[in-house]
Amino acid sequence: MLSNIYKKEMKDSFRDRRTLFLTVLLPIVMMTGLVLFYESMASDGSDATFKLAINDTISSSEEALFAGNENIELVKSADPEATLSVGDAQAAIILSTNFMETVQQGEEAKVTLIGDSFSQKSSQLMSLVTNALENYKLSIVSERLKGEGISENLVHPFEVEQQELTEENDGVQLIALLIPMILALAIGIGAGPSASDLFAGEKEKKTMEALLMTPVNRLTLLFAKWMTIASIGAITGIITMVVVALEIMFFTENLKAAVSFGENMYWILGAAIFISIVYAMFIAALLMITSLMGKTIKESQSYSTPVMMIAMFPAMLMSGIGVNEMTFQHFFIPIMNIFSILKELSFGVVNFPHLGIVIGSNLLFMVIAFVIGRIMFMKDKWVMN
Amino acid sequence: MIEIREVTKKFQDKKVYITALKHVSFTIEKGEVLGLLGENGAGKTTLLRTIATLLTPTEGTVSVAGNDTLKNSEEVKKKIGVLFGGETGLYNRLTARENLEYFAKLYGLSKHETKIRIDELAKMFGMKDYLNRKVGGFSKGMRQKVAIARTLIHNPEIILFDEPTTGLDITSSNVFRQLVHQLKREGKTIIFSSHIMEEVTMLCDTVAMMHKGELVHHGSLEDLYKEEGSRDLNYIFMSKLVRGNQQYAKQYI
Repeated sequence: MLSNIYKKEMKDSFRDRRTLFLTVLLPIVMMTGLVLFYESMASDGSDATFKLAINDTISSSEEALFAGNENIELVKSADPEATLSVGDAQAAIILSTNFMETVQQGEEAKVTLIGDSFSQKSSQLMSLVTNALENYKLSIVSERLKGEGISENLVHPFEVEQQELTEENDGVQLIALLIPMILALAIGIGAGPSASDLFAGEKEKKTMEALLMTPVNRLTLLFAKWMTIASIGAITGIITMVVVALEIMFFTENLKAAVSFGENMYWILGAAIFISIVYAMFIAALLMITSLMGKTIKESQSYSTPVMMIAMFPAMLMSGIGVNEMTFQHFFIPIMNIFSILKELSFGVVNFPHLGIVIGSNLLFMVIAFVIGRIMFMKDKWVMN
Repeated sequence: MIEIREVTKKFQDKKVYITALKHVSFTIEKGEVLGLLGENGAGKTTLLRTIATLLTPTEGTVSVAGNDTLKNSEEVKKKIGVLFGGETGLYNRLTARENLEYFAKLYGLSKHETKIRIDELAKMFGMKDYLNRKVGGFSKGMRQKVAIARTLIHNPEIILFDEPTTGLDITSSNVFRQLVHQLKREGKTIIFSSHIMEEVTMLCDTVAMMHKGELVHHGSLEDLYKEEGSRDLNYIFMSKLVRGNQQYAKQYI
């Protein structure tokens, strides 16, 4: 009987154009946008050329300060600040009169760098210009010290060598944020309409009464409906992951470079798919409750919106936490644990105790939500309008 | 046989209890067609839902063919077919046939039984032309026929109709009335609620009148006519509702 109800619910759900749109088309469009956005964020700007506005009276020696940097294109102008303001350059630099000569003579010189910190391009250009000027400053200091017969070590007593804990590409951090966010969004968006339709929708259309009048056990009905919601959520999650994987593979360079799981690849992919299914089961149980609470589809959607929004919070919380900093709570608290475990997997770490905690926690909270749903489904108040 | 004994049903609306049924008791014999009359909010639908096991009585018991609706609800459900008024309760994205097949499965019919039953019902209601079309595009009359077919798919002994002709055109209403006659000939027990007195006069053996959750009359139509000295059910209904104020009732007829 369970399979009969499940098959019918799946058939009915997939005949709904809204479900099809939200399950297949929307995630593909949305994820494509997100992947391309993250790809641009992952780009270090090494190929890009930025325009730096500079006074047209600049000397050749001053111009030589930036000549070695292929990313900087000088835009000569009578008023560099105005050139920047109208958008013909990403930053402007104003050097004091006879800048190079003044510096060489050891007199006071000044550089004014104007840019827009809110603009990614402007920030990158300002950083490049600052580096070029810092290098020039160091060479001047070095020359002056040599001239005085003093060792450079006097002003440069030690070297700082910065090393990363992992050898991962910078892009992996973005992948670790992108994948769980996409998954949480896709599963919620995919399962939401079916959840609303299967309980609140059936109450609204009065098919619930006809269904409850049949000799089928209510628990069987509830279980079949929950399975349908979970399946649609899982299908959406898996389709989305496949689409994202293909897009990263064929349409990105920086994100693709970040994804290299080596020997662990199959474990990681398998774990990610399994986690998607478990998470879909948990979300299905939550959405089942919100749908039971609603008398109409619209009302149910109002109740399910906060659930979808809560699923986005961990993205912000987890972005600043390193893989080595994650504790039991990160793997135990539902929803947050999806972000934690997928972050770990994105870094190529397969930690079975952590996987166990995440799966166990999701199953535990899913059972709690299911029991609440069952109690509600047995009461007249929640199943009939 | 259906036995309703001292049934009271209370609903809680926030902190207030609303009594929808007050100590309702009566019996319906096998093969009887009973008309359930009452104003909107009189408790007709609540009573039908309670008989159909959809609602649990706060007090009292309901027994259907010897089965208590609380203790043996699955057996009761197998014996009952229900159609609630104004709502067809069909899945719009499924075809008429798929709707009927689904409910046949839920009632435990085999594939062979289902096919025979659907053919019978399609013939009975003239649905063959649109059996394989999605219900979403049907007219109200077509939907109502499919809904009635769904109600009868498992060939129930007892059929409950809640305002079945609400919103139907004359042709569809007549089809329904013919159906009730046919079901009566087959020995089915039928309870239907209605606001159309002519329909009740035409189809019912007995009537039960409800007012504000209480049963104000139960008996055969003939006894009622004798008791009230009139064969005008509209008049009798109004008279009963205002508790014997025949002068008041006359103003409305």
